[in-house]
Amino acid sequence: MARRAGRTKADSRPASPPGDWDIPRIAYVYADPTATTLRAKEVADYIQEKLGIPTEIRDDFFSRHGGDDRETLARAIAATRVRNIMRPFQPMEPVYGEVQFELRLLEEPTKRVPGILYDGYRYLAVMRDLLPPDERTLRVLHLAFEHRILGTFDEDGRYHARAVVCGYPSVVSTSGIVEAPAKPKEYYRVKAQLSIALGATPFDAAKEPFKGQFIDYDDPRLTEVAKGYALQAAMYHITKEAFCEDPECRLFNAHWQAELIRAQVESGSLCPRHAEIASTIASARRPRKGYRR
Amino acid sequence: MPIFGESSEAEVTRAILAGFTRDLGEYASTEVIIVGGGPSGLVAARELALNGVKNVVIERNNYIGGGFWIGGYLMNTVTLRAPAQKYLDEIGCPYKKYSENLYVTPGPHACSKLIAASMDAGAKIQNMTSFEDIVLREKNRVAGVVINWTPVQALPHEITCVDPIALECELVIDATGHDAYVIQALEKRGLAKRIGEGGMWIEKSEDAVVEHTGIAYPGVIVAGMAVCSTYGLPRMGPTFGAMLLSGKRAAEVALKELGRKPKKK
Repeated sequence: MARRAGRTKADSRPASPPGDWDIPRIAYVYADPTATTLRAKEVADYIQEKLGIPTEIRDDFFSRHGGDDRETLARAIAATRVRNIMRPFQPMEPVYGEVQFELRLLEEPTKRVPGILYDGYRYLAVMRDLLPPDERTLRVLHLAFEHRILGTFDEDGRYHARAVVCGYPSVVSTSGIVEAPAKPKEYYRVKAQLSIALGATPFDAAKEPFKGQFIDYDDPRLTEVAKGYALQAAMYHITKEAFCEDPECRLFNAHWQAELIRAQVESGSLCPRHAEIASTIASARRPRKGYRR
Repeated sequence: MPIFGESSEAEVTRAILAGFTRDLGEYASTEVIIVGGGPSGLVAARELALNGVKNVVIERNNYIGGGFWIGGYLMNTVTLRAPAQKYLDEIGCPYKKYSENLYVTPGPHACSKLIAASMDAGAKIQNMTSFEDIVLREKNRVAGVVINWTPVQALPHEITCVDPIALECELVIDATGHDAYVIQALEKRGLAKRIGEGGMWIEKSEDAVVEHTGIAYPGVIVAGMAVCSTYGLPRMGPTFGAMLLSGKRAAEVALKELGRKPKKK
């Protein structure tokens, strides 16, 4: 159940953060070198401006924390692949070629190869295990931009790709922003028609009539969209409340690209309630360096 | 005056036998055996031959080219996404731009050009020959393939109890399409496993096919649609562009494995 913010409309007392909020002393933002239009510094500045949390930009997560044993890491990442999107995650030892594939991606952080779905929470667990002990605390927010597509298995009995997977750390997938929210319904009809006519799926041709109606790879609006998802992850870390039901709010959980653009680009702001929560976070006393959990 | 010069039936038979046995003798031991003569296998064969690597393509059908003759729904226009059209430039096959990043060409033209380009480069083709099994050496490394005539498989065992023969090589490229026969042969021995083709919807599956092309097992490189069934990648996404570039990647990986430096074209 979603929890309420520090105060209600009827309550005019100054807001103070509930005791169980985890306000980090610093946020590390990990860049995604495959996303040419993602300006991580702007996203970090936005988080700092909205939540008052000092931020630091870092290289991509695995370059920073991956360590020297790349093969073991590649194997761990490959083991999080979703084999069947219609079934809950089935653990399976990755095959040789899958490990080699992940090794190549680790060796070339600028290479983006969508098309594979990874189990979001298992993927996050791999990342979490790599964090150095002094940073593995809720007083440190780790926000990683990633090119891999993460999914979660839902109550409807299938996996769904996600733009953001909130957890520890949290991941915003730059490919997930493109692939997870659905494109206009008509796009799928045009794509199907062209596929029948050509015997292959001409993605670029199918996209052409709908240009601008969805976020595409290397879209100039990516940074703006990324700000909203980064804020979702940061606020989840603090309040454990991920989404908002207001379609004009940046914390809205968009299922369609049109909704995503409305919330992140056209509105680009928080609803009054979440603006207030953000303000409460921003005005709260910052914890000092040290361990809490 | 007759149009054709004089010869005898016996001489024709001797010529066929001499040509065939010479070729078979030559590739009984070769550097790379490519199982499957579809687009990815043919590109791999051409690229390897251009780099001086002795190779042979094993094809179970009489015709070479796999599904490259026709596009979807038996319509013989094939599509390629950029930058795969550049490979058509290399083999001298014309094409037209259909839309941004999408090119079309008649399947028969592209396929025949590719077959000719592969053979011109020096690739050998053994058609009507089916892959039956793998040859294993120390540490279970694949070191060859077991083959037989395709018609043998089509007849009842009681009639055609024909033992197969084996060819030796340093590397095998599995370009057998969705079936991934070489990987299947490993799977039967518990040495490898196929993930099976996935049902994902994501559009960049072509990239994934090319990027997964490589060593799947010691001595075995997987290419083309066999990549999809080996790694559970989406099968509906890739156009022929992925097959061509996967073949090219397979040859690059093979060159590296053989310790050869690629020649500049």
